[in-house]
Amino acid sequence: MTLDVGADLAPVVKEITQEKINRYAQAGGDGNPLHTDPQFAAKTMFGGTIAHGMLILAYLSEMMTAAFGEDWLSGGRLKVRFKAPSRPGDTVTSAGRVLRIEDGRTVCAVECRSQRDEVLVAGEADCPRTQTRAAGACLGPTEVTV
Amino acid sequence: MPPSLDELPKGYQFPPFAFELSPEWVREYVAAVEDEAIGVLEGSLVPPMAVAALAVRSLLEGARLPPGAIHLGQDMSMLKPVGAGERLTVSAQVASRGERQGWVLMGIELNVADDNHAPVMSGRAMLTMPANAEGGP
Repeated sequence: MTLDVGADLAPVVKEITQEKINRYAQAGGDGNPLHTDPQFAAKTMFGGTIAHGMLILAYLSEMMTAAFGEDWLSGGRLKVRFKAPSRPGDTVTSAGRVLRIEDGRTVCAVECRSQRDEVLVAGEADCPRTQTRAAGACLGPTEVTV
Repeated sequence: MPPSLDELPKGYQFPPFAFELSPEWVREYVAAVEDEAIGVLEGSLVPPMAVAALAVRSLLEGARLPPGAIHLGQDMSMLKPVGAGERLTVSAQVASRGERQGWVLMGIELNVADDNHAPVMSGRAMLTMPANAEGGP
């Protein structure tokens, strides 16, 4: 079974906490105080700490792994832009929808949104269609818009 | 002390860095990002963003990330699955650099290969950071 045009990927929902940001900073070795130091971050344009962009992309990647399995790891492509920061207390929903089948690849619009319906990340991800599986497909309607 | 990232010119080549995806570190990463999908796959495969994260971490051995740096965008191609315990090498260069109103806009291209020189991942990160960032934003 493959994902056809218009199919929604099963969304991945994560809560952002400062503890999770700190844990990611430690694992990723990214000690940028914008993420981990509330006093420093309060003086920036963000007014407080924000999550690492790569942490949010890890959630998107989890969604793609669930939908496409090893195809994502062996031939996936991602092109995204960060539109807004995600902050402690946010609920981040990663969502995707198959836009087209092109050159043997499944091309999806992907995004992450906050509980405020603010787009945090937007772009496209595509994957070779060889072994596409539907375990991560969401066959029912979802509330997300991509 | 390594140079600050904002000081690097266009064309700057980062020294190649080798790193190992130790099983312990992969477990720590997967727990940190709460990835429930990777464990469903056969073998001890590593989430692609873990490879990217450790590659960037390795690069930062050779250049300091200025306080207040912001990730603007990311392009990435996964070329080969990687297993826990594999040893990889990342090479990177400053592909673009501009400066505007006290902020540096930088594109960094990176390529990751395995021990057999087979490409594992390629990508480009778009960052912005305060110029002369040592004092913060």
